[in-house]
Amino acid sequence: MHILIVEDESRIAKRIERMTRDIFGDDLQSIKRINTLHEALKYIENNTLDLVLLDLNLNGESGFDLLTTAVSKSFHTVIISAYKDQAITAFEYGVIDFVPKPFNRDRLEQALHRAITQEKIRSNTIKFLAVKKRNKVQLIPIEDVLYIKGAGTYTELFLTDGKKELHDKSLEKLEQLLSFSFERIHKSYLMKMSEINEIIVESGSKYMAELKNGELIPIGRTKYKDIKAKWF
Amino acid sequence: MNMRLLSYFLLVSIMLLVTACSQNPVFIEYQTLSKIGDQPEWATKDWNDNNWDKKKAVLSSGEVYWTRTPIDILQAPEPLHPYAIRPYIYGEYEVFWDGVLIGKNGNPGKEEILGPEGEMLTTFIIPAHLTEVGEHMLAIRSSIYHFPDHVGMRVDIANYDELLTERLIETSYMHIFAGAFLIASIYFLFLFLGNKKEYPMLIFSISCFLFFVLNLAEFITTYVPIHYAYHHIRLETKAALMFGISFLIPLYFSKQFPFPKRKVFLISYAIILLFTFFIKHNFLDFTSRNMALIMWVFSFGIAIFGIYKRMKGALLIMLTLLISLLINFIISFQVGIFIGFSIILLGMFYLLSLRIKEQRLAYETSLVQSTRLRLALLKKNIQPHFLMNTLTSLIDWIEETPKKGVLFIEALAKEFDLFNQIENKTLIPIAQEIALCRSHLEIMEYRKEIDYSWQDKGIEFDETIPPGILHTLLENGITHSLPKSDNRIDFKLIFESNDDYKSYTFLTFAEIIKERKNKREDGTGLKYVKARLTESYQEKWEFTSEPVDHGWKNTIKIYS
Repeated sequence: MHILIVEDESRIAKRIERMTRDIFGDDLQSIKRINTLHEALKYIENNTLDLVLLDLNLNGESGFDLLTTAVSKSFHTVIISAYKDQAITAFEYGVIDFVPKPFNRDRLEQALHRAITQEKIRSNTIKFLAVKKRNKVQLIPIEDVLYIKGAGTYTELFLTDGKKELHDKSLEKLEQLLSFSFERIHKSYLMKMSEINEIIVESGSKYMAELKNGELIPIGRTKYKDIKAKWF
Repeated sequence: MNMRLLSYFLLVSIMLLVTACSQNPVFIEYQTLSKIGDQPEWATKDWNDNNWDKKKAVLSSGEVYWTRTPIDILQAPEPLHPYAIRPYIYGEYEVFWDGVLIGKNGNPGKEEILGPEGEMLTTFIIPAHLTEVGEHMLAIRSSIYHFPDHVGMRVDIANYDELLTERLIETSYMHIFAGAFLIASIYFLFLFLGNKKEYPMLIFSISCFLFFVLNLAEFITTYVPIHYAYHHIRLETKAALMFGISFLIPLYFSKQFPFPKRKVFLISYAIILLFTFFIKHNFLDFTSRNMALIMWVFSFGIAIFGIYKRMKGALLIMLTLLISLLINFIISFQVGIFIGFSIILLGMFYLLSLRIKEQRLAYETSLVQSTRLRLALLKKNIQPHFLMNTLTSLIDWIEETPKKGVLFIEALAKEFDLFNQIENKTLIPIAQEIALCRSHLEIMEYRKEIDYSWQDKGIEFDETIPPGILHTLLENGITHSLPKSDNRIDFKLIFESNDDYKSYTFLTFAEIIKERKNKREDGTGLKYVKARLTESYQEKWEFTSEPVDHGWKNTIKIYS
């Protein structure tokens, strides 16, 4: 487990580090504290991480750029901030949790737990998926996404306009963030359920979801029952 | 204001009506003949005056001369309402109508011996039996000891009552006007005394007063007898008043519609006006007219400039100037000049009311601004970034080292206490501000675990400063910098003063965070500092904030 803490208040950064070490114990391979935006961005670009704990107000500057960069990456992001009113925005951009200051160990543990397990966000708060383009991060509105296909450690977002975008997060992580309106209908597919027109049963117990635009996406044999029970 | 303007306009219109409705003349005045000398027979109606001079008599001193003027009465008076005659002549004289002596004003020919007697304007009843329709003869025996070169005459014949009351009515209207301007003058003088920076108010007040006196000087002859020897004093007074008003009006407009190179403009204007004042000075009406015209042209120019620059009220001023010009075309200069001036003064009055309104709005804005600044100061301690980070650190200290946690709480209590003491002030002793900064550093040490140090130099402890401005600069210094290699950030405050200004230099010795170095817009912090400086020192301050080799440098200069 590799963790980055971005926080310019030394005492608080140390507190987070101490608690994180305590919570993860031996699972923790590395933990790094950074106190400026610039360095944090550089570190995120050049290192493999599993989790970033991020304060949005560093040295009087808004960490908005850092936020969009962080959420476009493969790891989950937890925001730890004094500004509770930023929580909504943070969730819209796809953070896994928002810990308001002041916080205690239990609250931090809850956030870390949510990030490393498969715990799903059950509220409809995410508005965008941040996709890393050559020099910038592009925000793709969730309503433009039809379904998501796993491709190794990456995912492919299939959009309403027929385009396809690559995302750094794994299908599992996106499933966590998007579970309000998306369902894992296949080990390789995360489907926006409102896009399904009907479920077609083919010979040999093959199940296919027919989308409103006519596309056919396979439904996993084991998933079919759950989906039917839950959605139809 | 518009209502008031309207009512004044109504008054002006009524006056115009009164002037326009004067009746047709009941007589025709023919060529006046004159002769130097003195014979009682020259008064008779049928005297042969063929050899008399058509030109004005050329007098050397107080000698007696006669004039004979044939007059046709066009319409006989109504019974019991006799006609009267009013000569407009310089000098002392006797008036003969068809050979009958009908009036006497002073002692013609004996002025030197008997001294001045009589008055400028006299009215003599013409016996009713001598005013039948037809030819009559007006003979006047006079002398002008004091101004022998002021020969000339004009007469007015009308119903006796009318002749007396007409001018009284005109005078009373004009005096109502004069009274209004006297009140305005006093009112604006008081306003000026209440705020001595408001020069337009003073100028307006003086203009109104001069106008009031001019009005009195013009119409005083109606009720105060003045001997012709002193008449020129009145005329000189009038011309001088005209000069004053003619200078003040463009001066006023130049204050209200400021334009470049005003001084040069006003000086050259004054020179032109003086030139006009002294050239042909004996023809005072001519002088007055020219000064009014020059005043009008310059004022009009300024108004046009104001309109070009889209200044408030300039259009209205141009309109009032045009109306005053128009009125002077319609009616005689004597009355027109008063009405014209009145309208211009009303325009100036309106401008002042506009400015007063603007000032009130500005004042209200400044009140709101002060409240905002007070709130901004209060908010420093409860804004989430400060409060929540402090509390988080505090929890941590308490959990880890309770004793230090208590010290931290004490430091926090001290800063809150200091804030409570200054929150409703606009200026506080510098010592208090420094105490605030020091206690803030103490808190930040617990939070950031950086060694902060504070140094000050040359501080005069009885100096005052707006609250929270050094504190704000300190906050910026803490937020935007990283400690040097020895984990220190040093702050230094230097006070210097000389005859021109006092200056505070506030230095941060630290690593400045890279991305801040080039782009630094005014954050809320710097806006607060500037707003506080403006609140207490208006325009008389200068503030700079810039990166330097060792970190950051802020300077505040307060000019005396």
